Amino acid sequence: MSEPLNKPLSPAVSKARRKPIRFPWLLAYAVGYLIFLYLPVLLLPLFSFNDGTIVAFPMKGFTLKWYAQLGEQDTLLQAMINSLTVGAVTALVATSLGLFAARAYVRYRFKGRELSEGLVMLPLVIPGIIVASSMLVLFISLGLKPSLTTVILGHVFVALPFAVSIMKSAFDDFDQSLEEAAFDLGESVIGTFRRVTLPIVAPGIVASLLVTFTVSFDEFVLAFFLSGNQPTLPVYIWSQIRFPAKLPNTLALGSLLLLASVQLLLTAEYFRRRSTKSASKSA
Amino acid sequence: MTDQNIIEISGVEKRFGTFTAVKDLNLTLKEGEFFSLLGPSGCGKTTALRMIAGFQDHDAGSIRIAGQDMAHIPANKRPANMVFQSYAIFPHLNVGDNVAFGLRKLGLSKADMKTRVAEALEMVELGGLQARKADELSGGQRQRVALARALVMRPKVLLLDEPLSALDKNLREAMQLEMRRLQQKLGITFVMVTHDQYEAMTMSDRIGVMFAGKLEQVDRPEVLYARPCNRRVASFIGGMNFLDARVTGDNGATVDVNLQGFGPLTIDVNPNAPARSPDLLAGIRPEQLEIGAQRPEGYDACLQGTVSDIAFYGESVHYYVRAAGVEQPISAAVPNYFHTVDHKRGDQVWLGVQNASVIDLGARDA
Repeated sequence: MSEPLNKPLSPAVSKARRKPIRFPWLLAYAVGYLIFLYLPVLLLPLFSFNDGTIVAFPMKGFTLKWYAQLGEQDTLLQAMINSLTVGAVTALVATSLGLFAARAYVRYRFKGRELSEGLVMLPLVIPGIIVASSMLVLFISLGLKPSLTTVILGHVFVALPFAVSIMKSAFDDFDQSLEEAAFDLGESVIGTFRRVTLPIVAPGIVASLLVTFTVSFDEFVLAFFLSGNQPTLPVYIWSQIRFPAKLPNTLALGSLLLLASVQLLLTAEYFRRRSTKSASKSA
Repeated sequence: MTDQNIIEISGVEKRFGTFTAVKDLNLTLKEGEFFSLLGPSGCGKTTALRMIAGFQDHDAGSIRIAGQDMAHIPANKRPANMVFQSYAIFPHLNVGDNVAFGLRKLGLSKADMKTRVAEALEMVELGGLQARKADELSGGQRQRVALARALVMRPKVLLLDEPLSALDKNLREAMQLEMRRLQQKLGITFVMVTHDQYEAMTMSDRIGVMFAGKLEQVDRPEVLYARPCNRRVASFIGGMNFLDARVTGDNGATVDVNLQGFGPLTIDVNPNAPARSPDLLAGIRPEQLEIGAQRPEGYDACLQGTVSDIAFYGESVHYYVRAAGVEQPISAAVPNYFHTVDHKRGDQVWLGVQNASVIDLGARDA
């Protein structure tokens, strides 16, 4: 080469790289889009602090009483407990199933792998109402009364695709010779799973637990059809919307749920990123 | 090395669907031997190693380690441990826990375990690094940890899958000598898979050369270099000029040939290349050829040609010489005595060869 190696980039090139791209229309579109998406959601917390029962501007004044009243409502607390139970069980079951399915999908080439993977992912695109009504028919014909158990079964079905895709990304960067090395050093198959596989994919498991819990906690249609007289929180909220006097309470409750969900998903994302990082470090 | 057989493999075969990865593998290794399986990628050498380790079943034949048939014995029950190509250092454990991983199953006391881990790390010159985290290790250190983790189990056989391929050249050469020294000190049988001929030659007592699932030749490195059994082995180990030789007379231990380009010579019959057709394939190592501007004195046969290319390797210079009646240019290597031999492209030169330098490679199509 005739040019010196440490020659700086020509001024024209470096300037072009640093210059921010200016597309006023794209910016306007993006901002408009974000307002359209999130403004209604942001109105929820806003009006939950409004000292009045009518959701309309101008707002009356600031109050926390709607939040304070939440603690006094027994049916609400029961619905909360129902939702937490369903969410926790769903998260455990879906994540366990997802863990083994994902390991098989990433590690083995077997007949029907793609078909099986497609079927597992299908609930993401089937309309919830179809799933809900057919499950209701199925459970009743099996003699299963609508209850938290049937809600859990339904929720595992919709949460499984999330668990499988999160666990797949955890296994994607997992060096297979780590498991072979453990087995080669005299460890049993189960011991290898416990001492090597589990600790390395642990962040992925945590991420999957959090995401599947959130999916279950926020789910409405299936719970509405399958919960019978044991409403989950979203079903309870739906039943309260009919009473105008209760609306501010519902807004307060909704704001809390929104906050909790976002928090859970952020935590899950943190763990998911850690899982890909820790697995790829082994190579 | 003792006379005790440690690994006996007979008639082993491995198929993946319609593809036969390993064909009729027969091999007996002595206790304390350093053995290398050498071959290009995809030749089945890693599959062979994984069958010894127990990660792959064999479809036919038998594998015995220390006299015991390994047919239904899984990898975790075999007296063999493996060093993986990626080293497979457990990322969630520190160096000490990595090395102690397999010891936990042996029911040792805490103190014994500590001593053995410390000894193993001392052995690979990582003494005192027990608390170092896996992601703080350099490539060379990872390799040493993998070695210590396998050796701490005191296996009868240590299996190594391309153990040095991830290291840079200087480190690799240093580790070659170090691993060889360690192996001789411990007296453990090492079976190494490599595609690097120099690595195989510098480290091994014996080398097995594999092509397309078939073990073509098993010999000491010197024999493999001097008497390869056919064209494939000859071209995989070191440089080689291939020439046709017409057999004009058979004297038992030697044959009279008319060597393409060079003329009449009497060469030794190669016991490793018994296949014989009317004509022979002959090989000459580049460094066995004399090159000069005048016809060299005292050589059994000579040839005149033109220098077509020159390749400078640092320690030696290779001249490629085109001659009448020879399709490929003949390569002659000259040690680099700082240009006491200095030919230019296009120069007329002479090549000289001795009878003993011409290798019989058997039938041309073998």
